[in-house]
Amino acid sequence: MRAREAIDVLARQRGGAVAVCALGMAANEWWAATKSEDSFYMHGAMGFAASFALGLALSLPHVPVWLINADGSLCMNLGCLLTEASQAARNLKHFVVDNGVYQTVGGLPMVNGGRTDYAAIARAAGFPRARTIEALDELERQIPAITAEEGPSLTVLRVDPEKGFLRTPPMTYEGPEMKYRFGRALERRLGIEVFGPQGY
Amino acid sequence: MAMDVAERIHEQLTRCGITLAASLPDDWVAPLIERIAADNHIRHVRVAREAEAVAICSGAFFGGVRAVALMGATGLLTCTGELATLNLRHQIPVFLIVSQRGSIDDHRIYQEVQGRRTIPLLQAYDFPYHIIDRADDVASIPDAFETCRMQKRPFVLFLTRRLVKGEGAS
Repeated sequence: MRAREAIDVLARQRGGAVAVCALGMAANEWWAATKSEDSFYMHGAMGFAASFALGLALSLPHVPVWLINADGSLCMNLGCLLTEASQAARNLKHFVVDNGVYQTVGGLPMVNGGRTDYAAIARAAGFPRARTIEALDELERQIPAITAEEGPSLTVLRVDPEKGFLRTPPMTYEGPEMKYRFGRALERRLGIEVFGPQGY
Repeated sequence: MAMDVAERIHEQLTRCGITLAASLPDDWVAPLIERIAADNHIRHVRVAREAEAVAICSGAFFGGVRAVALMGATGLLTCTGELATLNLRHQIPVFLIVSQRGSIDDHRIYQEVQGRRTIPLLQAYDFPYHIIDRADDVASIPDAFETCRMQKRPFVLFLTRRLVKGEGAS
């Protein structure tokens, strides 16, 4: 299974979910697949997309929140799984694109060389549902049930590493514009107030 | 922390409209954290690393929820990278309440480094901060929170030893 194929399946099944993407490959592929402004694409804070998504999910308990994470980012702070499990946000689904390498910097190997079972770690942390999917047809078969199930859940998408740098370009905006596009998109879609009457 | 100070800070946080708190304790802010944890109107998230609290509050901002991160000064130092690459980069406000460890009346050798370096570090990042040293200044918290929103970046509210332990405490 290739990362792009897996992300395309998620994008087709997304429905009304608000997405938070870890920086690098996960963010770039999600942007390529969805071109969505009601997604937040991390540009830094590697390892903390999960925490950002948790804060969003707790703040919008009736809105499905999907975290598109990657193995490199998850390993920056595995402790996030304990926090996620403890909060038991029913609207939060955590996907981990696991390619075993740091793809964005040219495919250098990840720590522990592909031996890590992230689903097992999540279950041990207290996630009620966690699984690993290794093939595209298996993902297509399982994704409706994953989408429908109660969170928190963690789904590892084991994909093949690409050779060298992944050339998928990043989203076409960044920094403060990312903040305002994302916040305004949520305001329009959900009828909430992110920014005050004077715009901050 | 004297209970009346924790109570006053809690009261001001409620006045700010805060409904989410994320924390990792040190002993100076622990009584405030436990007071907040007991408040059914505030969703309290215990985290495993301080930068999680920063990112949780940042995500909550986009849900339209007012949030606070509580931690010790050592914890603040551990999340300067995330404060820069998430909050500074995207101009996301995050309000932090932090114990001002390493002050001249904090005789813990393992806090010494934090004492003289933390504020110069915040100044280098251009993160605003305010030091609350006396109970009657706790009422400035809503102003600090509004300044954080307007400045669109991390804002650190320091609590001094004199405030949390009282005058002449050992």
